[in-house]
Amino acid sequence: MAKPNPFLALSTAAMALPAFAAPQPVETIVAIKATTYQEEDVPQRDVLAGSDERYKIDIAQFRLLTPVGEKWSLGVDVAYETMSGASPWGTIMGADGEASLIMSGATIRDKRTEVSLTATHHGESRSISVDLASSDEDDYEARAVSISGEWEMNNKLSTLSLGMSYSSDDIEPTDALRFGRVQREEKISRSLSAGWAQVLNKNSVVHVGLDVTDHDGYLSDPYKLRDVRPDEKLEWALSLKYRRYFDNQNAALHLDYRYYNDDWGINSHTFHTGWHQNFGDNVRVVPNVRYYSQNEADFYRGTDDFGLATTINQSSDFRLSGYGAYTLGVKLIYSALQWDVSLSIDRYISDKSYGHDASDQSHPALLSFNMTSFGLNFRF
Amino acid sequence: METYQFNFQAMGCPCELRLAATDRSLANEVAVICTSETQRFESKYSRYLTDSVTSRVNNASGLHPVTIDPEVAAILDYSGVCYVQSEGLFDITSGVLRQLWNKNMRRLPTDSELEFYLDKVGWKKIEISANEVFLPIKGMQLDFGGVVKEYVADVLAAKARSMGIEHGLINLGGDICIIGPQPDGTPWSIGITHPTEGNSAIAVIELSEGAVTTSGGYERYFDIDGLRYSHLINPETGWPVEGLLSASVAAPTSIVAGSLTSIALLKTPEDGLRFLEECATPYFAVDQQLGCHGNLGEVCHA
Amino acid sequence: MKVKLVTSLCVVCLLSLAACETVQPWERGTLAKPEMQLSEGLDSPLYHQVYDSKEASSGGSGAAGAGCGCN
Repeated sequence: MAKPNPFLALSTAAMALPAFAAPQPVETIVAIKATTYQEEDVPQRDVLAGSDERYKIDIAQFRLLTPVGEKWSLGVDVAYETMSGASPWGTIMGADGEASLIMSGATIRDKRTEVSLTATHHGESRSISVDLASSDEDDYEARAVSISGEWEMNNKLSTLSLGMSYSSDDIEPTDALRFGRVQREEKISRSLSAGWAQVLNKNSVVHVGLDVTDHDGYLSDPYKLRDVRPDEKLEWALSLKYRRYFDNQNAALHLDYRYYNDDWGINSHTFHTGWHQNFGDNVRVVPNVRYYSQNEADFYRGTDDFGLATTINQSSDFRLSGYGAYTLGVKLIYSALQWDVSLSIDRYISDKSYGHDASDQSHPALLSFNMTSFGLNFRF
Repeated sequence: METYQFNFQAMGCPCELRLAATDRSLANEVAVICTSETQRFESKYSRYLTDSVTSRVNNASGLHPVTIDPEVAAILDYSGVCYVQSEGLFDITSGVLRQLWNKNMRRLPTDSELEFYLDKVGWKKIEISANEVFLPIKGMQLDFGGVVKEYVADVLAAKARSMGIEHGLINLGGDICIIGPQPDGTPWSIGITHPTEGNSAIAVIELSEGAVTTSGGYERYFDIDGLRYSHLINPETGWPVEGLLSASVAAPTSIVAGSLTSIALLKTPEDGLRFLEECATPYFAVDQQLGCHGNLGEVCHA
Repeated sequence: MKVKLVTSLCVVCLLSLAACETVQPWERGTLAKPEMQLSEGLDSPLYHQVYDSKEASSGGSGAAGAGCGCN
């Protein structure tokens, strides 16, 4: 093995000297974001019963990140969502031989509030965080705790991150008795994650991550007329991220890829790429494209069969079908020294033909949506 | 925003602070804190002052251990790493050899004189514990001259930054630590003194961050019987080294840059250049024939 | 097929590690730019929430948060 570089050895030794204090955030950051999300209505011809209006969601996010003392920092995240719209209850074969949707009737109106608190302790080249999160809506309550750590190595050119989390969710579907739904169910999720960030040279960095999660409990959709899923799911995802800066163009390229796999038979590929183009010192424009493709779950059915025994796993949820989707987006950012403002617009379209392993039939509930976000960040 | 300059004398060399601030009183305040901090280090580590930690340790040589604080312990640990990384050439106990090699000596030392002093040299002989240091042989001496000045440049830069200065630099007798680029964002132009023509620059480098130090045998040399000898002594042989004429290194911190230049100059010219190459950090070196080496710097007037 | 994919990804990662250079701290300015970060502020939780509730996949961000009612 090669002799260690004297420069690295001395640099590491120098870090122990009092003048080179541990790095921890010195700024307080406040961020807010307002988003409106609108799905396109289902084509009339695909709706057998119920409303053709799909979801409209408004989201408000707030984040505060502030140093506390010399070695600690505290983060608070609050998100508030209001949603309205109809959702698919079931899929059945229509008279024309095509799958049709039975949608919920009167539009659902629901609110969700999520709060999370994170405390981080910063050491010389490592930090440890504990996070408590809670999410509440009319029919759903989730509580989660997680602990994670980051270790910087190789003269801060490499970073190892490890984390684990535990979440306990309770679902109490609305109108349970009226519609014969389950009244109260629970779900436990546990996950482990590991990541490695590596600086390749002064213009590029790469990140590899692996997440593994186990879900246990009630995993079906209680609002569907017929939806029976296993009471356990094991999933893992491998992600790769690459960032590269181009000096001549004053721009950066982002390339992200994620491979997902679970024991319900689903695997998916997600590609996301964005070009971050700077104009002068203050403006950045980011056109970006996301491509997603998944195959269908083992127990997915194109249409519901109410004659099937309820002990057999079955679901016609479009989210378990084989399809693909594209998102085209652009983000505009204007930054000043202590604040920046941004506007993003995204359009998402999905279709079974876009997927790498499409289901036999195109699911009528495959959706398109438009999303617009406005954000403000302050640093002081 | 204006750049204010402050000059003072400390640790045996001219010191300069360049601090950019929108408000002159902030620059003044930072300058006052920096000069007093420099004086604190000088009082603590100078071997010329009887009350310094260094003098107390040296005077107790062969007698008893002396209690030291965490800062001294950290500097000693760092000096130990320098000893290892220089393969024994950088040794903070080698100062006693100056008794044999200085401007007042008109002749070469005898073998018995060399033996007498070499007996008192050797990093490995020092006994260090968490809060004590003991020099077991009477006459042993610690000299932090090759470590503390460079460290002070880093300390002052960190202090200035913590007080809100974002643009400026610290220059302690040629050891430079950058606080931040010039107010307009451009790097500082730093000239490396010509080894033999003191008033001109042999190279100019541009830096926005980090530190650059220069070590040179050209300023403190002496002649014996018509031959020129460097003031840098090899602690193993007891003889002055015949090395590079000067070396400059750019590194994230002034202390590391200073250690690398010091170590490079203690080796033969070939070994010194090889060492600088091995460190894979930008450097600039001038050999005995005034040839320039290294990838740091833009202009070379040999 | 799955095994081959994971293996080739690991090989890519190891190759890129081998291609690493030391970056001097004064050259790290570029890496610190906002457009070079691995995630950007509130975008991460927002997009994860949107896509996780409309697709079968989740994860890939290492982030954990409380779930939502999107079984």
